Amino acid sequence: MAPALRCPLCRQSFFSGRGHVYSRKHQRQLRAALERLLPQVEAARKAIRTAHVERYSPEHDQCCWCLCCGCEVQKHLSHGNMTVLHGGLLEHLACPDHRKATNRFWWENKADVLLKERFLVSQQDYARFKKSMIKALDSYEEEEDEMIKKMAAEIREVERSRQEVVQSVLEPQAVPDPEEGCSAPCIWKGTNRIAFSSQQLSLDPSPAPELNWMEATQSLTFIGHQDTPGVGNVHSGATPPWLLQDDEDRNSSAHQIGPSYEEFLKESESVTGVGLIFLTTLNAPTFPIPLAEEKQKLRKLPPDRVGANFDHCSSTGAGWLPSFGRVWNNGRRWQSRHQFKAETKQ
Amino acid sequence: MSLLLPKLASKKGQAIKSTAEKVLVLRFGRDEDPVQLQIDDILSKTYHDLSKIAMIYLVDMDQTPIYAQYFDVSYIPSTVFFFNGQHMKVDYGSPDHTKFVGSFKTKQDFINLVEVIYRGAIQGKLIIQSPTDPKNIPKYDLLYQGI
Repeated sequence: MAPALRCPLCRQSFFSGRGHVYSRKHQRQLRAALERLLPQVEAARKAIRTAHVERYSPEHDQCCWCLCCGCEVQKHLSHGNMTVLHGGLLEHLACPDHRKATNRFWWENKADVLLKERFLVSQQDYARFKKSMIKALDSYEEEEDEMIKKMAAEIREVERSRQEVVQSVLEPQAVPDPEEGCSAPCIWKGTNRIAFSSQQLSLDPSPAPELNWMEATQSLTFIGHQDTPGVGNVHSGATPPWLLQDDEDRNSSAHQIGPSYEEFLKESESVTGVGLIFLTTLNAPTFPIPLAEEKQKLRKLPPDRVGANFDHCSSTGAGWLPSFGRVWNNGRRWQSRHQFKAETKQ
Repeated sequence: MSLLLPKLASKKGQAIKSTAEKVLVLRFGRDEDPVQLQIDDILSKTYHDLSKIAMIYLVDMDQTPIYAQYFDVSYIPSTVFFFNGQHMKVDYGSPDHTKFVGSFKTKQDFINLVEVIYRGAIQGKLIIQSPTDPKNIPKYDLLYQGI
């Protein structure tokens, strides 16, 4: 019998020697594998004539598995913040090692000879690709430069228009305000705040110009000036109203926030059982424990828990011992207590 | 002994009986012992975190010879676990399942153990598998009356 050989394509061992590669299963696997690889190679081939250069992004780090060489190949060629699409794959397909590996793969697996050429890239094709790549790189750089210049121009334009508006408002105070509002509507939004503040400076003392503001923007309700003489406000640094509590609270009874001591003890008793037994026995007043709450909580616990029937409040003598299966005895747990008592009596 | 943990000198029966629906942890030992101090440190630090499922008490060996004899405490510190007045056995991988001998390696070991005991007790089990790594459990020989 032929020795066991492993076919990496079918991922199986077989014993029929060279006969395996002619079997239907192997050929089917081979065809499927080549069909998986073909689209990527075709896409790369299209890029030979017209190379594309793009801004680098992490998805350009994708790898492609080359069936013939049995290794992973970077699909795209990245350098700095630019990526040449399909560059890596084309480089690999054109190299002589890949050619050799492809020939060997075709011979060993008995693949269709006509398909072989489609998985190879000749040196002329690669040279063509390099030329188109250089052209693409140049045009990409030009585009980037243009974009930067455009952005700079836009920023300059915005800055200039802002300056203009500020100038025009500060200089002539006699010019009525609504005109200002209507003249440059498109830049008004961006420079709204600057215009308002400069208007406020000039219009502070008299209440009449406030109507002009209302015309320029939506109508706001005016409720009158809030300057009571004698009492300060936030600008003059007066005490805030929420800190002026002395007059009101002295009259009412002492406000304590939180529960009183008895209520606190009641709550803690019901929750922690007798955990606070030390504290309560000291000097707290006695009060009835709310049994209903406790009983409800106990009902929620599973009924088959350990010691569910254990009566915590039953009175036992001083010599009570818990149920403890001792270390060196044999027999049931409940017997251990009797044994111990017997031993101690002896 | 830790100043933060409640001590049981007398009325131990009372304490065992009255702890309801919580794991009762009784640590037997002596103040001066160095391993004792280690476990006391762990117990005091986890006391608050486990307060909803466990009550921890310290018992001085010299004051309670009867309990020491009943629980057969031959190494100190020893920790015994109860739930609702019933003793909980735990298989630590050591010779004695009725108590935990020695100190815990980390606070988390102790917390895990108490939680597993609580869960087992709620499910009605009287003996439980310890979740601690066997290499973190102190080793000792259990000999019958010194033989």
